[in-house]
Amino acid sequence: MAPTPGEKLTNFFKRRDVIIASALGVAITALTVIIGGWWYTKWMPTALSTDMKSIERLMVIFTWISAPVCGAVVAITLYTFFNRHKGDTPPEDGPAIRTRGPIVILWSVVSSMLCLVAVVYGLIELNSAEGKAQADAPHAMIVEVTGNQWVWNFHYPAQDVTTDKLMLPINQPVEFRIISADVNHSFWPVQLGVKADANRYQVTLADTTPNKLGTIDVKCAELCGLYHAYMETTGAVTTRADFNNWVTAQGGHTA
Amino acid sequence: MTAGKRAASAIVGVLLGVAVVGAVGFTLHSASADPQKKLYATKDSATISVDGKSYPKAAVTLGVYPDRQTAIDHGSTANNKKDWVQYGPSTHIVLPAHTYVTMTIHVYDSGENLNNPYFGRVVGTVGGTMNVDGQDVTSIPADQVQHTFTLHGLPTTSQDPLYVNVPLLRVSTNEKGDFLPTTDAGTKLQGHTVTFSFITGGKGEYVWNCEYPCGDGTYQKFGAVMGSYGYMSGKVSVA
Repeated sequence: MAPTPGEKLTNFFKRRDVIIASALGVAITALTVIIGGWWYTKWMPTALSTDMKSIERLMVIFTWISAPVCGAVVAITLYTFFNRHKGDTPPEDGPAIRTRGPIVILWSVVSSMLCLVAVVYGLIELNSAEGKAQADAPHAMIVEVTGNQWVWNFHYPAQDVTTDKLMLPINQPVEFRIISADVNHSFWPVQLGVKADANRYQVTLADTTPNKLGTIDVKCAELCGLYHAYMETTGAVTTRADFNNWVTAQGGHTA
Repeated sequence: MTAGKRAASAIVGVLLGVAVVGAVGFTLHSASADPQKKLYATKDSATISVDGKSYPKAAVTLGVYPDRQTAIDHGSTANNKKDWVQYGPSTHIVLPAHTYVTMTIHVYDSGENLNNPYFGRVVGTVGGTMNVDGQDVTSIPADQVQHTFTLHGLPTTSQDPLYVNVPLLRVSTNEKGDFLPTTDAGTKLQGHTVTFSFITGGKGEYVWNCEYPCGDGTYQKFGAVMGSYGYMSGKVSVA
């Protein structure tokens, strides 16, 4: 499929194999964009915070950015697979591929632009989340998260409650102070879009604001020993009234 | 090479591949299989009422031993490592579903401090208490705990949640007179007896483990015995 030495670029793009592979590439790119934009989000857990929403958006946009690369690679792979040589005697090697300046420049610039867009967009999202967390910090509810082999527990200092379930009131900014009692773990309340290391002797901070009612699955995202696979618990984002009732039922006190 | 030979080569290649993958899978499965015999709870014909609901009763007894010899002295099935603390007679417990289970644990080991004082609290038992040598308590100070029995499972929709944490009071040198944990097979041993009850839900697979750092010096004392099957952790099958 490579250009023949001395072949004009316009003639190269008129070749039957190049046209078929290009058409296939466009189709696969379009398919990837559709999957990334619609179907992919169906596989993600329900977002219960703006952080999770922004992660969903980020994943979709990154998928779109990588779609042309996916399209080109898969198209060339499929075309060459279905048009491979058949028979006992392999053909002789083709002529050596010569560097073509315009193609190298085009490919490098396009790749760099795709990467640059991904980096810049990622930094903007990160900065946005960090800015919101700093603004919310003064009135955030503190939840001290401790990872143990192979159980999570959560201490609410203001409410004087410790439990094995993560309960949060809706629209209340939360600051997680995460630590481990033994080996390294990773605190991952999936639907909140938070994932942070739980290390021994070192508190890691993470912030979020749940903005939708629902169930939270809390997992460990760091391989941490024998029953790492069992290191899961649940929780929920509830109304403020339900949260207060829960605190009272746990023997704690509400603000 | 003729077409027939090519086809035969391809078939042989595929069969060899299947055999290799199968052998690796079988080996891994054998290596990861639970080495413990199942310990079945003893069912009781009596029933008990809790919060207005009647449950059948069952009981199961475990021991915690500082080493292999102590386990043998108490008639428990012992594990291989002679210096490793261990639960016995088995770490795979089978409990009946929807049952009021009373678990008795005989404790024969000393201890230091819990890493996380949360595990000094009794959680998930009937009444939120446990009985230690005849006294009902709801917690033990973090520096008095020897080991814990912490039962938990995956929060899936296919099984009921089951979470129990019971701290076990350590045996120390200033109590129980001469009856201290020892490796001397000729000495009578006496420790603490901890009893608690909890109610099982439907069928499910759970795990339990000790939250006291009783391993060797690696991984914050969570290495060695704490990272091995059959000693300080195990399974609970509710059937």
